Amino acid sequence: MAWLADGRALPGKLFIVEGIDGSGKSTQLDMLRKWLVGQGYCVAFSEWNSSPIVRTITRRGKKKQLLTPTSFSFIHAADFADRMERQMLPALKGGAIVLADRYVYTAFARDAARGVHPDWVRQVYSFAIQPTEAFYFRVTMDESLTRISSGRPELKYYEAGMDLGLSKDPQESYKLFQSRILEQYEKMIAEFELRVIDAALPLLAQHDQVREIVQPHLSGALLAERRGWREVLATEALEGRYLDEIVGPGGEP
Amino acid sequence: MTEVSFYGHGLPGFKKKRLPGRLVVLEGTDGVGRSTQISLLREWLEKEGYAVGATGLKRGKLAGRGLRRAMRGHTLGNITMNLLYATDFVDRLERLIIPALRASFVVLTDRYIYSMIARAQVRGVDPVWVRNLFGFALIPDAVFYLQADVSHLVPRVLNARGFDHWESGMDFLRAPDYYESFVDYQTRLLAQFDAMAGEFGFVRIDANRGIHDVFQDLQAGIQEVVKDMKPPKHPKEGKKDAKRAK
Repeated sequence: MAWLADGRALPGKLFIVEGIDGSGKSTQLDMLRKWLVGQGYCVAFSEWNSSPIVRTITRRGKKKQLLTPTSFSFIHAADFADRMERQMLPALKGGAIVLADRYVYTAFARDAARGVHPDWVRQVYSFAIQPTEAFYFRVTMDESLTRISSGRPELKYYEAGMDLGLSKDPQESYKLFQSRILEQYEKMIAEFELRVIDAALPLLAQHDQVREIVQPHLSGALLAERRGWREVLATEALEGRYLDEIVGPGGEP
Repeated sequence: MTEVSFYGHGLPGFKKKRLPGRLVVLEGTDGVGRSTQISLLREWLEKEGYAVGATGLKRGKLAGRGLRRAMRGHTLGNITMNLLYATDFVDRLERLIIPALRASFVVLTDRYIYSMIARAQVRGVDPVWVRNLFGFALIPDAVFYLQADVSHLVPRVLNARGFDHWESGMDFLRAPDYYESFVDYQTRLLAQFDAMAGEFGFVRIDANRGIHDVFQDLQAGIQEVVKDMKPPKHPKEGKKDAKRAK
């Protein structure tokens, strides 16, 4: 079950992953998705900061450095609300499994690290659905830095927390900012019953732990009707040449 | 403003206890004549020698355009809309209103948080949640509520730019047409404003009357708010007097 803010249960299941950049949470969520899809479940996916309505505002704010801690907080809340109203809530009402890469805890951690009042942020997000399980991938600062610096050219302004004026050096600022965020995550483990996964473990060992926690929630979850077209191809001797043009992100038309 | 106070937690990092400017809000439903009055008041105050700033919803540099764009579509949910309004509002508050108040401006704002609260409540959004959302808002020096009956609003709106999708509540009401929907929606909004008048200390102005009458009432009200900030009429003479006294 996932729960509405007022306590009513929704038929779908909501699994979310949290952790700082470089914790490997997105990789783990992707593995979880493939496993669930492979078993035939109807799976929807939602990613932090991806609402098409809000994206242009966020981009503008970042590019022109217009953002303050409060407007930063609101923009992300708007992004989250839009994805909740249009993606997550309808899917959960329909009984699907919803996977979210980052959830309200990201906002709680980052906003608090920017000096926004924690109670206020929690109130702002009080409309959020309570997840079935929330995973926190715990990683040390050094490990996360090693992982992210190998994959990309340089740290971005807000990502490094440069708006806080902690340090003029992006690398240094990033460290200070992320350690504040880590501190916030640690505090939230008990408050929100986050499931802690040691992100230093081998990939598959982490995935096994995730599966074990998710498994008991799966009975009765909505199954997807997704193999029908394969049958048509097989029995009608078609190749599906034009299906390629309409394949969605899940590899299904 | 002088003594700074907020409705809720306030702005993170904001430490100023005093702001020398004045924040004056004009509130009221759609078509009641707020923008006309603000244009007139602005000119009058400038003629009187004040520095004046004017702002209004959806005009912020950060989110104004994005919000207008989002409202042209039909996918904007209730909570998201409130949060986008809040984004635009806090952007204008931090980067425009507060700096102007620090520089002793009289800031006239076309609507404030009350319109946003009224709209949200009419649409069934949790009243406690919306109030918390806007807890970072400065408490203004005065809020003038231009109050007009729906029967007076209809011809004004028709005369200006016609019925608007959102101003008619077409996003959530099930009325058969724009007219019916507008009347229903504005009636509900008026009830919200009336209910908020006490809570937020609105000064009611009867806007069923002509523009000039309304203007004179506003003038009198604003005069009260700004009277202590006026510099002496002839500063040079003032200095001479001071020297002579020595």
